[in-house]
Amino acid sequence: MRNNHLEQISQQTDSPARRRVLGWLVGIINLGVIGGVIAPVLGFISSPARRRHGQGGWIPLLDEQALAPGEVRLVTYRRLVKDGYMMAEHRYSVYLYRKTDGSVLAIDPTCPHLGCRVEYKERKSRYVCPCHGGVFDCDGNLVSGSPPKGLTRLPTRVAEGKIWIQRG
Amino acid sequence: MAQMVHRPVRTHTGEPVDKHLAAPEAETRRGRLQLLRDWIEERTGIFGFIKHHLDEPMPPGVGWWQTLGNLLLTLLLIQFVTGFALAMFYAPTPDHAHQSVKHITENVPLGAFIRGLHHWGSSLIMLVVVLHILRVFFWGAYKKPRELTWLVGVAIFQVMMAFAFTGYLLIWDQKAYWATVVGTRIAGTVPLIGDWLLRFLRGGDEVGAYSLTRFYAIHIMLLPVVLVLLTAIHLYLVRRLHIAGPVVPQKGEPQPFYPYQLFRDAVVVLVGIGVLMTCALLFKPALYPVADPAGIEFTPRPEWYFLGLYELLKLMPPKLEVLGTVVIPGLIALGMILLPWLDRSPSRHPAYRKWVIDLGLIVVFLIGTLTLKGILSEPPAPPPHTAQVSSSVQASR
Repeated sequence: MRNNHLEQISQQTDSPARRRVLGWLVGIINLGVIGGVIAPVLGFISSPARRRHGQGGWIPLLDEQALAPGEVRLVTYRRLVKDGYMMAEHRYSVYLYRKTDGSVLAIDPTCPHLGCRVEYKERKSRYVCPCHGGVFDCDGNLVSGSPPKGLTRLPTRVAEGKIWIQRG
Repeated sequence: MAQMVHRPVRTHTGEPVDKHLAAPEAETRRGRLQLLRDWIEERTGIFGFIKHHLDEPMPPGVGWWQTLGNLLLTLLLIQFVTGFALAMFYAPTPDHAHQSVKHITENVPLGAFIRGLHHWGSSLIMLVVVLHILRVFFWGAYKKPRELTWLVGVAIFQVMMAFAFTGYLLIWDQKAYWATVVGTRIAGTVPLIGDWLLRFLRGGDEVGAYSLTRFYAIHIMLLPVVLVLLTAIHLYLVRRLHIAGPVVPQKGEPQPFYPYQLFRDAVVVLVGIGVLMTCALLFKPALYPVADPAGIEFTPRPEWYFLGLYELLKLMPPKLEVLGTVVIPGLIALGMILLPWLDRSPSRHPAYRKWVIDLGLIVVFLIGTLTLKGILSEPPAPPPHTAQVSSSVQASR
């Protein structure tokens, strides 16, 4: 009885073309709904990846006299930075090296390999990465190991009796 | 069960009280239960469904090796339960994450135990999943018609690795922080999109507040949903295609899943959970000092299951780091995905698929050796404290 009734309706209204068109419309509606939600969600969650924070500036670190010729010193400093949804005071560190000619090198301790912090070995006058064994000389040049390049040098200047570094 | 309920109360002379009434009452109760059961069955078919699966015939020779999947499922459920409990006490912000984990471990009653279950559970899952994969590999159980079951299993393995990686950072201690710095830098070496991927994962240029919220959201929302879906598909396929019996068919009659195989499953679960609980009780998970981007004293070392990759990266020559970070792990993953189509031998017997078995053994040997090397290599002693703290605080903008 019920099947007959359905067949009657089907004969009156249904055709392969109608079914196909309606099927396509359902697919388009579904895609529209999914795209309409997913696109803004993807845009929202990927927004921090598109924005680069320019948090640079000159930072005074040490008294000019505090660093003897030939000395390498790890200096830790604090900066107020925008960290996601908040302003936060972050600690950073940098190696300061006064060469025998009196000039000062500021070397970022971040290993260019995979981002570990290098340690300065005074006996060998080398920076060594504890993670994957990269070795660098006093000037930060690559000596051996996996890193693709030497350590990053930060711009320095001596002014107002202090050693300054510039963060990029 | 019914006999236990139907125990007539007796008088001091030993005669049953209401001997004519007790039995009909129990019968009525049983009848009502049966009615309820029938009512549920008519609407859901749940009892028939359970019975059908409990009665599934197991080929002769199926035994203890086939219990690992069930153990894995139980361990995953424990991770869900303990993770849910931990999330109630955890705060995913750089200011409070470490503090809240410390609070859980030291102050909340049973906190150290629950955290221990979650921590050791992740290690045990990795161990069991590797054994499960090796069993399927050596038994050739990925062959037709079970290619998709294997493929979904490989996807589940990748999701588990993602779980381990994202769960790491949440503790926000030195180990967590540096492992994430290195891990995201590895993602950053992917050609073309590496730089974008690194900033996408970190939520910026550095590991910070957004990294923590991202990893937390992925760990407790995205990955569980993906894992439940994949596990459901995996179990459906296992049941639809039935379990692959021994490589060489054995003589004998098939046995129903219940009670024989289910009993083995229960014994293995008991042993596995016993080991997990013992670890959680005896070995409190470590909590290192709070994450410090300036610290150089801490030597980052990942958990044991990532040590193979960690050691591999040491072997890579300069400028070829992408070989260790992307190419070799990518080739292993691709090999796993394509395995059912690479191994074209119609036989499941190891003797008839020699090159696949040999290659598998070599890969397992190399990963095992690198992992062992990583476990045995002592981290270098911390350097003398030469750091001088400068008081300069600068607003960045």
